[in-house]
Amino acid sequence: MNIVATIQETLDYEIAGIKVIEMIEFAVIFIIAVIIARIARMAVRRRFKEKLSPTTLNNMEKVVYYGIILIGFFIALPKGVSLGGLLMAGGIAGIVIGFASQTVVANLISGLFLIVERPVEIGDSIAVGDVSGVVKDIKVLSTTIRTWDGIYVRIPNEKVFNSNIYNYVAHGARRFEYTIGIRYSDDASKAIDIIKGILAEHPLVLKYPEPDVFVSELGESSVIIAVKIWAPSSHWYSVKKELLWKIKTILEENGIEIPFPQRVIWMAGGEKKEGRGKGKQR
Amino acid sequence: MNLQTEEFEIEVTGRGKRRLYRRRAGDEEVEKIIYADDGNIVVCPVEPVNMPKIGAAEHLMVELKKSVIFEPDTKNTFYVKFPIEVGVFTVDKKDVERIDIFTTVKAKYALYGPPESGIICRWWRSDVYAEEPEVNPLKEGVLRVDVENKYHEWVELQKVVFRAFDMKIFYNEHAYMHGMLTLLKKTTGETSFNTRKPKNMHGAIDIYAAKGIKKFDKKYFMEWGFK
Repeated sequence: MNIVATIQETLDYEIAGIKVIEMIEFAVIFIIAVIIARIARMAVRRRFKEKLSPTTLNNMEKVVYYGIILIGFFIALPKGVSLGGLLMAGGIAGIVIGFASQTVVANLISGLFLIVERPVEIGDSIAVGDVSGVVKDIKVLSTTIRTWDGIYVRIPNEKVFNSNIYNYVAHGARRFEYTIGIRYSDDASKAIDIIKGILAEHPLVLKYPEPDVFVSELGESSVIIAVKIWAPSSHWYSVKKELLWKIKTILEENGIEIPFPQRVIWMAGGEKKEGRGKGKQR
Repeated sequence: MNLQTEEFEIEVTGRGKRRLYRRRAGDEEVEKIIYADDGNIVVCPVEPVNMPKIGAAEHLMVELKKSVIFEPDTKNTFYVKFPIEVGVFTVDKKDVERIDIFTTVKAKYALYGPPESGIICRWWRSDVYAEEPEVNPLKEGVLRVDVENKYHEWVELQKVVFRAFDMKIFYNEHAYMHGMLTLLKKTTGETSFNTRKPKNMHGAIDIYAAKGIKKFDKKYFMEWGFK
């Protein structure tokens, strides 16, 4: 009986006007709300994963998650606690914390601007300052990026907001280019036709805007052909990787070679000798 | 099941729950294992925007080999061909799942509009026909285009862009779509599709329905001209 009475007494004990039993109830309901919020977030992800863009899905998950937690918080709130008082206390605490941590507030506001302005979205390939990679998450205080070599980088939103942002996939198409040198003895027109033929065969080299292939420079050792190609932003890198070697191979199959650097040397006696910068000519 | 043509071969072998799906088209071969109690395999044409990279485009641009000029306030009809992509699906009472999509036609993409705001389209060039043309059903389908020029001036048309999401493909001996183009200004118009099933044709499974996305009637606004 004594144990029961002690437990009862402990539960009825008041701290700052709130009974211990009410605090336990608050904790239990709040934990349940968090569990429900996590389940709901997972359900939203499963339901809409293939139907919504990563950014929209992420925002929807956050609304559902924090909405349920907030509802759970207010349901769990002990009866003795005045909501007005809590909000006022929270407001005052917010102001104090805000003044005390201006950087956090700056990050928060920058984060809100980033979410509204949307210069980047989750899944975009971007560069911010000296960091480049894929955007994995945009939170209210920071943006996380997975760099090309797989490293997790968290950038405060204030820095993102104040930096030049290069978004490589914001537009539907982007251009890249090669410069290819051929021997002076080769037929540049034939080389251009061959390159144009290769580009016409590749599905992801855009028909419009048309690729541009032309002699751009008469170099020291070779005739330089510029190849400017438009490709879908989402696939440009794979196209770029694929095409250069293909162009080189097919040009060589057609007797057009890419020379090593060369220099013509005139000897003092008037005898002319041809030298090469590196090794043998291919 | 064995479906063999000059262009491709589809084979489903095995007994009981476990089946082996095998497809060959050109140099490409795909094999997948399917576990199913029941359900059917359906092979049909799908929206021609999936190959060679799913997600690269969601629109089809048909460039006309000859320009067509329309008188103000008139309604006309012409036919063009469109590229065929073949979809293979498993279908049961509850769900449709895509097994494979392939094509025997060379794919090409193009940008419609400026780089900063244009869209990537699957590109196709076609003659313009007054009547339904004959097609190689494994490579081409027939697209009927009803054009209404609501503008008070003549409008010249060199290309038309359709959104795959709006498409509805039907098929019997060949694939068929019925598109509509309303010319609003000299350089703007709207495209949409007639989704009513023609007589003696089957409705193809569309890739968006297979993904569980509900379709609704919508028009695509061609804002970057017809040339």
